[in-house]
Amino acid sequence: MHGLQKITIVLVLASATTGSVSSASTGSTGSPWASGRDLTPAQARLTVRDDLGRTVSLPARIGRIVSIQPEITRMIVSLGAGDRLIDIDYAIRSEDHLFGLIFPPGARLPVVSMSENNVNLEEVFRLKPDVIFASPFERQIVESLERKTSVPVLALASMGRFARQAEILTIVGRVLGREARAAELTTYFDAEIGRVREAVRDVPADARPRVFLSFWGVLTKTPIAYDPVATAGGINVAEKAMPDVLGAVNTLVSIERLIRWNPDIILVHGNYLPRDRKVTVEAVRTDPRLASVKAVKSGKVRYTFGFWNWWDMAEVTVETLYLANLFHPGKFPGFDLDREGNAIFKKFYGIDDGFSALCRILRCGEWSHD
Amino acid sequence: MSIRVQDLVYRYQDFELRVPALEFPSAALTTIVGPNGAWKTTFLKCLSGILPSPRGSVFVDGQDLATLPEAARARRLAYVPQEHSSAFNYAIIDFVLMGRTAYVPLFSTPSDDDTAAALEALDYVGLARYAGRAYSQLSSGERRLVLIARALAQNSDILVLDEPTTFLDPKHETGLMELVRKLAVEKKKTVLMTLHNLDMAVKYSDVLVFLKEGRVVSAGRPDETLSEELLERVYDIPMCILEHAGRKFIVK
Amino acid sequence: MTRKQRVLCGLIVVFPFAAFVVSLFIGSWHIPAKDIVKTLLSPVFPSLASGFPDPEGYINIVFSVRLPRLILAMTVGASLSVSGAALQALFKNPLVNEFILGISSGAAFGASLSLVFLGAAFPPQVAAFAFAVVAVLLVLSISRKSDSPIISLLLTGVITSAFFSALLSLVEYFASPYALQALFNWLMGNMTWPGWNELALALPLMGIGIAVLISMRWRLNVLSMSDEEARALGVNLRRDKLLVIVMATLMTAAATSVAGIIGWVGLLVPHLVRMMVGVDNRRVIPLSAALGAGYLVLADDLARSLASFELPVGIFTSLIGIPFFIVLLRKSKKVWL
Repeated sequence: MHGLQKITIVLVLASATTGSVSSASTGSTGSPWASGRDLTPAQARLTVRDDLGRTVSLPARIGRIVSIQPEITRMIVSLGAGDRLIDIDYAIRSEDHLFGLIFPPGARLPVVSMSENNVNLEEVFRLKPDVIFASPFERQIVESLERKTSVPVLALASMGRFARQAEILTIVGRVLGREARAAELTTYFDAEIGRVREAVRDVPADARPRVFLSFWGVLTKTPIAYDPVATAGGINVAEKAMPDVLGAVNTLVSIERLIRWNPDIILVHGNYLPRDRKVTVEAVRTDPRLASVKAVKSGKVRYTFGFWNWWDMAEVTVETLYLANLFHPGKFPGFDLDREGNAIFKKFYGIDDGFSALCRILRCGEWSHD
Repeated sequence: MSIRVQDLVYRYQDFELRVPALEFPSAALTTIVGPNGAWKTTFLKCLSGILPSPRGSVFVDGQDLATLPEAARARRLAYVPQEHSSAFNYAIIDFVLMGRTAYVPLFSTPSDDDTAAALEALDYVGLARYAGRAYSQLSSGERRLVLIARALAQNSDILVLDEPTTFLDPKHETGLMELVRKLAVEKKKTVLMTLHNLDMAVKYSDVLVFLKEGRVVSAGRPDETLSEELLERVYDIPMCILEHAGRKFIVK
Repeated sequence: MTRKQRVLCGLIVVFPFAAFVVSLFIGSWHIPAKDIVKTLLSPVFPSLASGFPDPEGYINIVFSVRLPRLILAMTVGASLSVSGAALQALFKNPLVNEFILGISSGAAFGASLSLVFLGAAFPPQVAAFAFAVVAVLLVLSISRKSDSPIISLLLTGVITSAFFSALLSLVEYFASPYALQALFNWLMGNMTWPGWNELALALPLMGIGIAVLISMRWRLNVLSMSDEEARALGVNLRRDKLLVIVMATLMTAAATSVAGIIGWVGLLVPHLVRMMVGVDNRRVIPLSAALGAGYLVLADDLARSLASFELPVGIFTSLIGIPFFIVLLRKSKKVWL
C-alpha cells in the first residue's frame, strides 16, 4: 500500500508540474506548436479595435463566421452576410421571434453555444470560422476563446446606446467587406431617428411625458438608460436612479418609489411572447397599489418592445417611432405603425411585411387601445 | 517517574480546585476518591496537562509539565479517558496505534516498530486476537481494555485513568483492576486513577487520596489513613469499616 | 486488509489514469484514438503529425482544449475530495463537506462582484479566491476565542456562509440580466475556460494542498479523536488544526476560483472510499484523491458530450454520485461509521 500511495502522490504532483512548465513555455496562443495562421500580420489583414480595447488582427476576407452575440448575429443578417454564418447560438434560435422571420435558414445551422458562457469549443473549432463575434461582458471568456481556438475574437456590443449601435454596425460592415451596405443602413437609421428628434425638438420639458419602464418580467425592474424613450421626447423617471459609473444597466426600485415618481406613462416589456409575460398591462392597470399613479388612472399603460438580447436595429427604429407617436401623437399625423414598420424591416432585412409578422407573434395589434 | 503537584489552583465559575502540595509515589497505584462534585476528573485532567493552564505547576520527574511540548508530555504521561465515542469506527489495531502519536513525526506514518509496540500493548491487555475488529463491535469491558492498550502503546512511565471501572460488571471490574495493579507492580508504572468503588480502591491502591469540594482531605496508605471518621467527614454519611478474610470492606 | 479491499485499492488508484486516457478521446470533434496518441507525441516527433488532415487543428484540440481541461478536472476532483475527507476527520463529522468554512459562499460573492462590476477587466478567479480566503479568515478569527472547539468553528462557518450568501443576493440585485446569466453559469461549475495560464497559478496551490494533506494522513486519524484525547496523545492541537484548515482552504479556494462551485465531490467521494476500504485515513486520503480525480473527469465527460453545447458539471457530480452512493449503502454490510 505504501508503494501505491507513493506512486499516486508522484503522479499527481507530476501532472501539476507539467501544467506549470507548459504554461511557461507557451506564448499567448496556448498551443506551442501552432504555426500562428491567424495572428501573424503576414497576409493582407484588417486590424480592428474591439470593445475590450483589444487590437484584433483579422483576415481581409471573412467567409465563415461564428457569432455568439445575438445582436451582432442580426446585424450580420442585415448586412446581407447571413450566408456566412456557420453556427447559431441557442438563445437566438429558440427565443428570438425575430430571427426566424429575418433569416429562416438560421434554423438549420448547428447550435454550438448556449449563451456565451457555454460554448462547445471543439464544435467551434471543427467549423473553422475566420472570426468569432462575442460580447465584451467577460474578458476571460473572450481571451480564452481566442487562445483555445486560435480564431480571432471580436468583442462588441451596443450596451444600449444608439450611437454605439451605429458604430458597431460600421465596424462589422468593415470586417465583412460590406461597408457600403453598412453605410446605407446607418444613414437610413440616422435619418429615421433624426426625423423623430426633429419632430420633438421643440417640445418643452414639461410637455414631455414622464415614463416608467417595467422590464425583464419584474414590475419594478427598470433600465437606467433607454435611448428610444429619450429620443421620442419622453423622460425615463429612472434616469438618475443609479450612478452610471457602476456600469449598471438596470435597477430594482421599490413600489413606493414608483408611486412617488408618479409617471405619466408606464411601458411594459412587450418582447416576451404573450404566454411568457410575467408582467402584463392588465395586471398593472388593475394593481391596487398603483391606483394613485397618473399612468394607471389615465389608462396610459402600454407595451413596448424593449431589450431583447440587446437590440435589433430595425426593431428599435420602429419602437422609437411608435413611442414618439405615443408620447406626442399630434406631431405625427397619419402615422401608420404597420406601414412604417414594414418599410423599415424591408430596408434592413429585405423581407415584406416583416413587421406585421412580428406583430402577429407578439400580438402588438392589441397594444394600442385605450 | 514521580509526579508532584505544587500550588495547583483551577477556577471555573464559582468553583475552585486547590491543591497546595501533593506527591504521588512512582511505581505505585494511587487512587483518588471522593463524593460527586469533588472534581476528581478535573484534578486528573489538570495533572495530565489536558486542561489548559491552571495556576500552579505539576512536576513530572522534576520537570514542569507546562514547559513540555505536547509530544514530550505524551511520552512521559498517558491519559485514559472515561469513555470514547467517535464518528469513525476504527479497527482496534489502528485505534491502539494512535497511542504512538508522540513518536510519529507530523508528516509520517507509523513505522514497523510502532506497529509492533501497538500489537504488544494489545497483547498485554489480552485482546490481540481482536486486532482486526472494529471498535463498535467490542463490549464495553473490552473497549476499556482497548483504551488502556492505547495508553500503554504510548510507552510512558505514568498512566492516568479516569474512572475506568464505571458500568463494568464485577468480573470485568476485577479483571481491569488486576491489570492496572500489574502495570504498577510488573511494569513499574506510576498509576493514578479515580474510582467510585471504595472497596476496590482500598483493595488495590498503594495510596488513597480523598478529595472533597476541591480540597484534598487526606492522602496516604489505606491501612494508615482509613478510618470511619474520615469516611464520614468526606461523604457526609455514617460509614462502617468491616474486616473479613483479611480485607477491609466499607459499608454505608 | 482483506484481499477484496486490496483489489479495490488497486482499482481506485488506476481509475483516474484510465479515465484520463479514455477522456482524451472524447470530444465533439471525433479524432481517432491513434491520431490522438500521435498528436501527443508530436512535440517530440514532429513528423508524426504530418499525415493528419488538419495537424494544427489536432494539436490545438489536444493541447489547448482537452489536455488542460482534463488535468484541471483531475486536480480539482482530487483537491475537493481530499479537502472534504480531511475536514471530515478534523470536524469529527462525516457530514461535513469541503465548503463548511464558508469557502463556497465567499468565492461566489467574490465572483459575483467581479462579474457584475469588473467583468470586462478581470477574470473572476482573483476575487473568488480572495473572498474565499477572507471568509475562512473571518471564521478562524471569530471562533478563536474559545480555543477553537470544533462546534464553534462549525457554527461560525455556517454563519459566515449565510453572511456571504446574503451579500451575494445583494449583488444579484444590481446585476443586469446578462451579468446574472454569467454568474449563474459560474455558480454551477464550468471548466471550459481556464487555459494553461490560469492553471499555472491554480495547479501548484492545489498540488501543495494535496501533497501536505496526504502526508498528514495518519495524523488525521488522531485528529479525528476528541480534542481531549488528541491532546492526551501528544498532539499540538492548535498547530495541527490550523495546518489542516489552511491547506484545505487553499486547495478548495484555488479549485473553486478556477472551476466554479462543484458540489458533492468532497462529501461523496470520501464516503465512497470509506465504504470500500474502511475508515483509516492512511488509505482514505490518498484514495479520495484518486477517486475524486477520476470521478470529476467522468462527470466532465458527460457534461461536455451529452449535448451539442455544454452543461454545468456540478449537475453531473450529483447525478452520478447519489445513485452510486445509495447502491453501495445498501450493499455494504460492514459498519463503516
